[in-house]
Amino acid sequence: MGYARYFRRNWQMYALLVLPITFFIIFKYGPMYGVQIAFKDFNFFRGIGGSEWIGLDGFREVFANHDFYLTLRNTLMLNFLDLIVSFPAPLILAIMLFELKVVWFKKLSQTILYIPHFISWVIIGGIVYQLFGTQSGMINNLLMSLGFDAVPFLSEKNYWLITYLLTGVWQSAGWGTILYLAALTGINKELFEAAEVDGAGRLKRILHITIPGIKPTIVTLLIINLGNMISIGFERPFVIGNLAVREYSDVLSTFVYRIGLESGQYTLATVVGLFQAVVGLIFLLAANYISKKLTDESIL
Amino acid sequence: MSERAVNIMSKRATNIRNNKATNNAFDVVIIVCLILSVLACLIPFIHILAVSFSGTVPIASGKVTLLPLDFNIEAYKKVFGDAAMIRSLGFTVFLTVLFTVLCMMMTVAAGYALSKKDLKGRKIFMFIIVVTMFFSGGIIPEYILTRELHLLNTIWALILPGLISPFYMIILISFLAGIPDALKESAEIDGSSQFGTLLRIILPLSMPVLATLSLFYAVGRWNGFQDTLMYITKPELYPLQLKLYQMIQNSQVSDLMRMEGNAISTVVPESLKAATVMFATVPILLVYPWLQKYFVSGVMTGAVKG
Amino acid sequence: MANGHSKGKLALGLSAVLASSVLLSACSQNNSTSASDGGSEQAGSLKIEVFDRGNAPAGLTASDNFLTDYVKESFGQPNNIDVEFVPIPRSEEVTKLNVLMASGTDVPDIVFTYDSGTFNKYAEQGGLTDLTPLLDEYGPNLKAFLGEDTLKYGQYEGVQYSIPAKRSTVGKYASFVRQDWLDKLGLPVPTTTEELYNTLVAFKEKDPGETGGKVIPLGMTIAPGQYESLIWSFIQPVTEQERFELTQTLSSRDYPVLLPGFKDAVQYLNKLYNEGLISKDFALDENKETLTQNIGSGLVGAFSEDNDNIFYPEGAYDLLLQNHPDAVLTAIDPYTNSEGKHAKPVAAPNGMYIMVPKSSEHAVEAIKYLDWMASEDHLMYIQNGIEGEHYTLEDGVPVAIPNLSAESTNKLMGGGDIGIIANGRIFESQEKNNEAFVKSFKPDYQDIIAKSLDISNTDAIEPVYTSRPIEAESKYGTTLSEKAKQLIVKSAMVSPAEFDATYESMLKDYMGSGGQAILDERKAAYSEQQ
Repeated sequence: MGYARYFRRNWQMYALLVLPITFFIIFKYGPMYGVQIAFKDFNFFRGIGGSEWIGLDGFREVFANHDFYLTLRNTLMLNFLDLIVSFPAPLILAIMLFELKVVWFKKLSQTILYIPHFISWVIIGGIVYQLFGTQSGMINNLLMSLGFDAVPFLSEKNYWLITYLLTGVWQSAGWGTILYLAALTGINKELFEAAEVDGAGRLKRILHITIPGIKPTIVTLLIINLGNMISIGFERPFVIGNLAVREYSDVLSTFVYRIGLESGQYTLATVVGLFQAVVGLIFLLAANYISKKLTDESIL
Repeated sequence: MSERAVNIMSKRATNIRNNKATNNAFDVVIIVCLILSVLACLIPFIHILAVSFSGTVPIASGKVTLLPLDFNIEAYKKVFGDAAMIRSLGFTVFLTVLFTVLCMMMTVAAGYALSKKDLKGRKIFMFIIVVTMFFSGGIIPEYILTRELHLLNTIWALILPGLISPFYMIILISFLAGIPDALKESAEIDGSSQFGTLLRIILPLSMPVLATLSLFYAVGRWNGFQDTLMYITKPELYPLQLKLYQMIQNSQVSDLMRMEGNAISTVVPESLKAATVMFATVPILLVYPWLQKYFVSGVMTGAVKG
Repeated sequence: MANGHSKGKLALGLSAVLASSVLLSACSQNNSTSASDGGSEQAGSLKIEVFDRGNAPAGLTASDNFLTDYVKESFGQPNNIDVEFVPIPRSEEVTKLNVLMASGTDVPDIVFTYDSGTFNKYAEQGGLTDLTPLLDEYGPNLKAFLGEDTLKYGQYEGVQYSIPAKRSTVGKYASFVRQDWLDKLGLPVPTTTEELYNTLVAFKEKDPGETGGKVIPLGMTIAPGQYESLIWSFIQPVTEQERFELTQTLSSRDYPVLLPGFKDAVQYLNKLYNEGLISKDFALDENKETLTQNIGSGLVGAFSEDNDNIFYPEGAYDLLLQNHPDAVLTAIDPYTNSEGKHAKPVAAPNGMYIMVPKSSEHAVEAIKYLDWMASEDHLMYIQNGIEGEHYTLEDGVPVAIPNLSAESTNKLMGGGDIGIIANGRIFESQEKNNEAFVKSFKPDYQDIIAKSLDISNTDAIEPVYTSRPIEAESKYGTTLSEKAKQLIVKSAMVSPAEFDATYESMLKDYMGSGGQAILDERKAAYSEQQ
């Protein structure tokens, strides 16, 4: 098929892409020249164009900083643990909701489960301290009244990890179910009926019909999550973290905030950002490639 | 009816009977798990609600947990009596609706085109878009761009830079890929244009994912305020979350404020903060129950059969 | 069903249209008025930054209220200068200022920051106007108001790149004890570190507050207000040279990490922690929220704090009295150093840095404005309002009139943020500043505040002054102030046997993260000065 004929048949597809691609070019690629700050000694008053080139000096400085490696390790560690704990949670929750036949309870619990997503981290932080504090936290009050020792949920690094992970599950699991629930509506109902007649148990149905039915969604989310392994939000580790557990709670985003933005060293902040971008893109492409080989699902 | 057939029939009947018992146990497990989860999610919300109705002394002494102490509704009187708050609510609703509608149009346009796996140049377009998930120019060039486009202090500064989320677009593509090609092809054989197929076949079949993405965009806009801090200085264009953020931040820097020589009367009482959280959160919480009717199973099944 | 949906949609659509039209009309109105204001006369203009704390009462904004109108009328009109206030969100102060500076336009003619690092950065990068000649020509009142002592803090390598605001009182910390607990146990008011220790032990053992074992003998946090009094009392006397070389100024605060005695201080904290005499969760309490709760609930026996913090309306003391009407606090000065003195740090005499960007074409108007503020009773008006309506004069000191109407209160809105040349209220003498400070609180508290203010100025350790900024400090300041706190927390929380190892390894990390660089640079700077 010649290009002219192909284009005549599919011009509408390209027409649909005109505005979106224009958007990306103006609003996303337009400001991209800011990336050069990583290679310049950024001076506020000379601007991005006028600042002096310093080559890789910014990278040398970042890579020589041992806090960079600590925060990089923590970022990967927290994200990896989140992947193990927080990634399956919405899936399990969504399947439970889907299996539930009591319609009013189903709708009600869906609505309540996603509330935590709307509470800002600052407020969650306050509640977490009230619950998990060693001296006056409610859980420790309960433990102590039962004759147990107080547990340092927030000030001992390994307990802190658990608190951090559970808070994450609590905050995001309900919200995460929404997408899975949307995906579950696409499964052909007749498959379930047939399975029931064949005497397949509930668990068997879940494993052989439900999960395969939403596999594309799971894989898509997994690939994107892997691409984000090296970036981490600022607020959660910052708000839940504290001075006693910095060796785990200090992550790349708090590191950038400290060395880059608070001290006005935009060069260093941009260097770290660029490093994260390159690594993140590589992770995503790799995950996509592997997924294509293994499951035939891919996002690109 | 042969003996074998009867055997199978009775086997099925036992299967179903046996399953009934395990089914009930299964249901109980699910319900217990869900009730626990629901409680865990509800308790902090109730706590904030209790604080919003409580007096200053019990709150500051850390005594309020799930029930209000020194019950009063002063905080709500203040919130609802503040004309700027009400106006801000109106603006936020308008902003969120406009933003969501425009985002969905753009995302569907891009997502539909790119869900056609054999579209020439698709890989290049996808790559152009995926790169922006990781690389960005930073706040300074973004501010300069917004200023050059004369968007500062307009509602468009809060809409245009966020029109398409590559992440949501990819999700849409993965859903659209699940629609059988046979459906699209049969429509096109019937003489439908590609636009027509999108409007008549694809969109109606994709209501659950469209509702989900609309919710994601709407919630993102509703909860977002960082861009407002940079691009907006007109109080008429302050969304609710910005007001809430400033209120919370203020109490975080209250020590500083004293150092800075400000009268102490500017410290915001906790109950007012909590009431503002309620005021700014409840409207958007109501969107999902309203959208739930689009989460109906079996839309696709019927369509494929028909 | 379908009908219901479309009705809902229609309503939603209508409200959206309505909201948009309201919005549009609001915008167009604003545009037209501002256009006519600017165009009608040939005026100089001046854009002034103002902090937006998002707490303006209904109908007012940070950039448009009674006091901004006052500035426009009594400074703008007579001088034919068109004054405009540019709101900057308080919480994003530095970020937004950086973006404005980097974008080149929209920068106000007068900007300011509390962050010395930001000031040094702007000065170093050549973005600020040298104000010396302008001050000489247009700022006589301003110069007299601030005095050379304060003004020197606004210099960068000897050039007056900023106008520092003047602080009304420099004293920072006092300590407090539950007098009713002491009385109940028949104990004296502690006046030395050792006596304080004995008091704390007695509080823990005898629980005079009947807290059911929840007593916190010494309230502690990881905010400077709580730990600095204790730590600085362990610092040994040093020569002026040692003081200059070994002090580390991080984010505008002097840290004694390298000064002799610091390790003893942290070890003492470790002892208190392990004996259960201080708050268990002190490491989590960076914003003093838990401490305030605990004091208010009557669990805390003694604590150090900023000299004024607990006395504000609905502050810790108010709370305590509401929960325990019989409670009495006494201001004390318990920590003694090796010389028997009650040494504790005080603040530098300057507050925020007021700057005029080099790109500004209105530097003259900017200085005229600041000079106007320092002249006659303009600052008095901005800070205190109208005599008779907001305050009455007692011995020349303004005393606030209680129970103002909402209208009157609104007139005072933003006073602290517009009166940028002063931190706190400033009069002709330090005594009057102090008196005015004390009298700004409610009568019941005035005695204890006077005492607390006095304590905070006793045996003051002034901040080390450096005429040229130490580069390593602006570079590593944020990181190191965090590391210093981390060192205190981690070393305090281990068992006594592990103390040495933990302390040394944390100190090593501190030195490696920039502490050594600061030390080297300071040594060089000192020999340079000689």
